[in-house]
Amino acid sequence: MESLITAAARALEAGDPLGALNRVALRNDAPSLALRGIAMAQLGDFAKAKRLLRSAARAFGPREAVARARCVVAEAEIALVLRDLKWPVKTLAAARATLQQHGDLANAAHAGHIEARRLLLVGRPDEAERTLAELDASPLPPASQAVRGLVVAGIAIRRLKAGDARAALDLATRAARQAQIPALVAEVDSAKLILDTPAARLIARGSEHPLLLGEIERLAISAALVVDTFHHVVRRQGVVASFGTRPVLFALARLLAEAWPAEVSREALISGAFRAKQADESHRARLRVEIGRLRTKLKPLADVSATKQGFVLAPRKTRDVLVLARPVEEKHATVLALLADGEPWSSSALAVALGTSARTVQRALDELARSNKVQSFGNGRARRWMIPPVPGFPTGLLLHGPLLKT
Amino acid sequence: MKRSAAEIVREYGPYPGVDAVHGVTYDGTHVWFASGDRLSAVDPASGKVARSIDVAAHAGTAFDGRHLFQIAEDRIQKIDAATGKVLGTIPAPGGGGDSGLAWAEGSLWVGQYRERKIHQVDPATGKVLRSIECKRFVTGVTWVDGELWHGTWEGEESDIRRIDPDNGKVLEQIDLPAGTMVTGLESDGADRFFCGGGERGNMRAVRRPRRA
Repeated sequence: MESLITAAARALEAGDPLGALNRVALRNDAPSLALRGIAMAQLGDFAKAKRLLRSAARAFGPREAVARARCVVAEAEIALVLRDLKWPVKTLAAARATLQQHGDLANAAHAGHIEARRLLLVGRPDEAERTLAELDASPLPPASQAVRGLVVAGIAIRRLKAGDARAALDLATRAARQAQIPALVAEVDSAKLILDTPAARLIARGSEHPLLLGEIERLAISAALVVDTFHHVVRRQGVVASFGTRPVLFALARLLAEAWPAEVSREALISGAFRAKQADESHRARLRVEIGRLRTKLKPLADVSATKQGFVLAPRKTRDVLVLARPVEEKHATVLALLADGEPWSSSALAVALGTSARTVQRALDELARSNKVQSFGNGRARRWMIPPVPGFPTGLLLHGPLLKT
Repeated sequence: MKRSAAEIVREYGPYPGVDAVHGVTYDGTHVWFASGDRLSAVDPASGKVARSIDVAAHAGTAFDGRHLFQIAEDRIQKIDAATGKVLGTIPAPGGGGDSGLAWAEGSLWVGQYRERKIHQVDPATGKVLRSIECKRFVTGVTWVDGELWHGTWEGEESDIRRIDPDNGKVLEQIDLPAGTMVTGLESDGADRFFCGGGERGNMRAVRRPRRA
């Protein structure tokens, strides 16, 4: 639209933020402020980027609703990269609606992808999927297709669907190469590593070995009795017993499955499932009650037989019992799982993502810090937590594209 | 002021590899459009691209009978239409905030988008001879039969308007359908305007209202 803005936007799209800055560094009109904001974000100066985008949104006239909405979307993406999960999602939804209404479908999709990525991050894959489904299915520019592929893969990975995840990532790879945005290509490549990293442990007949995502998926069609600690179910092919609200029963089932075909003593069951150090008579009575309940729940899948020392699992219609467990099972595994994205997190963002109180998260972080599993920098509200850096972690920054074409 | 709805006679494109049309001109045979790093000449009858020139092309385009003028960043390039060679440059009056470009009466006329202005510029030196205040953001600019017309895009709405070159008063307005953008404007000297379609990467021919 304006000559220098067009030139700067083209530089930005070609992955040359410095070239874009050179052209608009001294200008303070609304489109220049917005371009400088995005260039700064690409250069990693998020604080300055946020300030610039906010002043750009103010500087655009009241009639320039689309331009303002684009600034909001860019700011939301920066918030996501900074794991600022308290950033107002309603503002983003409103901006998405404005873009959709004015026919800027590419940026509306971008806004939707940011919403979906946030939902994925806070462990709500179903809502993330619904958000994707709401977006217009018209052809998206390659960069948006790549991001969509990443979100779809993220949802599939959380559902342990390796085939779907691989297909989505293959699509994302092609789109990212077509878009020629190096940060995007790197993001997709590192997402692919997840498929080649053990996602679970398989425990069978007293021994265990790591499993890739694809191997977990194949387990779904194995004929074995599977105690699945990801979904808190016991299943054999299509027959499923769900233990979502019965953690004690599930713990008993797991203890029996891990030991199978051997028996498990009453003492071991009591200490493992009730967290009691010493088994007294009241514990034994409770164990009898709980085993009775477990028998009822497991009826179509297995029997639980009493032995002299304790109990043993007797699976029906199969000769195999497997336990599917998380790769790391320690006290604060969920905190570590979020920090594993390599990004600095605030304790309040972790609390939002885990749906727990800031105080609980803080206690977990302090404990993990004492064993050097996490580290922090900054003080007060600016304090951020990371796992000690591992080479090759993604930056998470996907700011790109058609944000400022007019 | 006369006001009417635009009658879109024909659509051209979108053209492959063109993510936006920034400027439009007409050399009597071909319609030229600017798309970032290229000028392309389209046969208005077939809609096909006949030839193209690789040159920085970020905003308005004009033709003086022999040369193409093309805004790139904060300057106006003078291009030999036959060879595609850049013969020289002059500074653009808006310092990079420039949008539309037209040639008429020995002068260049340059739209300055957000400043809502049209400048008359000496094509030899780039000196601003005078400036016309407009009411809306200025996109394309063109002269035809002694009439000064310019495109607008503001508040997600576009129109093509004829203004009084002395005081900027709007004399006539042709409204484009909502969401349809005019990013470059040129008359074919008769009853058509060629308009750039911005991000859609296309062009449109719009009928020029008949004189009573």
